Amino acid sequence: MSEPGPSGRLFWASAAAGWAVIAWGLRGILQHSLDTRPANLAKFVVGGALLHDLFVAPLVIVAGVALARAVPGRARAVVQGALAISGMVALFSYPLVRAYGLAAHNPTSLPHNYTANLLIVLGIVWAVAAGLIITRLRSPA
Amino acid sequence: MSLKLPAPVERFTTDSDQPLRQGAYRSALRDERLAAILGSSLGILFSVCFVTGLYSHLQQHPLSWLPIPARPAGLYRLSQGVHVVSGIASVPVLIAKLWLVWPRFVSFPVAKRASQVVERIGLFPLVAGGIFMTFSGVANIAQWYPWRFSFTASHYWMAWVTMGSIVAHLGAKWAIARRALTRPSRRPALADADPVLGTTAEVAGDGLSRRGLLVTVGAASGLLTLTTIGQTIRPLRRLGLLAPRDPATGPQGRPVNRGAANAGVVDLANSAAYRLEVSGRVARPLSLTLDQLWAIPTHTTELPIACVEGWSYSARWSGVRVRDLLAMAGAEPDRTVLLESLEPRGAYRTSTLNAGQAADRDTLLATELDGEPLALDHGFPCRLIAPNRPGVLQTKWVTKVVVL
Repeated sequence: MSEPGPSGRLFWASAAAGWAVIAWGLRGILQHSLDTRPANLAKFVVGGALLHDLFVAPLVIVAGVALARAVPGRARAVVQGALAISGMVALFSYPLVRAYGLAAHNPTSLPHNYTANLLIVLGIVWAVAAGLIITRLRSPA
Repeated sequence: MSLKLPAPVERFTTDSDQPLRQGAYRSALRDERLAAILGSSLGILFSVCFVTGLYSHLQQHPLSWLPIPARPAGLYRLSQGVHVVSGIASVPVLIAKLWLVWPRFVSFPVAKRASQVVERIGLFPLVAGGIFMTFSGVANIAQWYPWRFSFTASHYWMAWVTMGSIVAHLGAKWAIARRALTRPSRRPALADADPVLGTTAEVAGDGLSRRGLLVTVGAASGLLTLTTIGQTIRPLRRLGLLAPRDPATGPQGRPVNRGAANAGVVDLANSAAYRLEVSGRVARPLSLTLDQLWAIPTHTTELPIACVEGWSYSARWSGVRVRDLLAMAGAEPDRTVLLESLEPRGAYRTSTLNAGQAADRDTLLATELDGEPLALDHGFPCRLIAPNRPGVLQTKWVTKVVVL
């Protein structure tokens, strides 16, 4: 089936409304350029998208293919899920583990040992995963 | 409008051995219905972030015709807590959604109709905006600033760009998402599926199922929420393994966003020359020494302090009511009041109380926290504490009260 593609009054009305809001945002960025530093901001906005689309996403796909070959069928789903959760939690924790915030010399920010805590959280994730895998391998097909 | 691709390019996107052919990245998980579920979840989370973010912006950049009310006292704490929690919870949803629709990024031909061109161009601010908003928010709560722009201004204006792209995307996907969401989940009709996504049938034992992917995303969001929400919900603080703050760590057992040393006020705050001045449109300007300030009758109240970064705590504050101080100086009621800190510089060295906020019974220049003298890091000699207000506007080390 060929893709019908977007069309109709709803599409054009929301496109017009949406782009008006986008234009409002871009105008704000340019008008407050002393604060928003458009060139520097663009580097992060465009860079983030390119980093994801050209590096992170292909990496996940390659990892997915490798995983499908390496892990037997009955354990695969759980390993995939646990790996995805681990990746997401680790990504979120990255600035905490690297402790960038300590540069502000505020004794109350980042009060924990985030490397240890991340390992605890990942340990729990994989303990649950191991339990699920054992249950799946033991149950009749 | 119709775009014809040259034959060699066209072949690149259709031949079975080419990386850009349709279905090259097929998976049972790259499914319209899943895309619709993740997309609508993300739309709801981002909208919640947008509305609460707008409220936080209005708090810091008030409009004269829309004065921020002093009540309910805990409103800002709730709205900013929800803002940060929704933002954190959206991280796994965004990652999963981007993974699911990624083959579209490499799909050719780019577009065959004008509407497809418009839709495709709109995907750039959508994807880039979504990634930027979550990345900058997560970095900010960890106090990581790898950029040179102002976080607040850029996060605010990019929110409009992102929200606008969501509105445009909603119109483009409304029909397809509605069809996918109303269709029963057990559907054999792969012929209806989107060929660009490369959806395949689910095979038992072939890895994560569609339901499994939703459980995975839900578990990741839940885990991130559970391990961070303790920074604002105190009974859960022991679970806050990945929380950037602990509501019980800091001077007097309370966190701060900026200590006295960072603000450069240690000497000024401890100096015998310190005065609290009340000036501006007053009948009797005041210049109070510490002893004179402490001699004024105090009022005690329980109020939350809520940081824009999503942590908060509630405490018992005692101090002079701002409205009593204004009455002592003979100011007219219903005046706007400017507070100035000892801080020599910084964007938050002053803050403004509108007439309603200045007249509120719980708006204090606090000198005590939980029954103890205010610590230097908490704003000694006195700090503003007022209901329904972001922490950055609860000015510390106050030295001037100017009636406007």
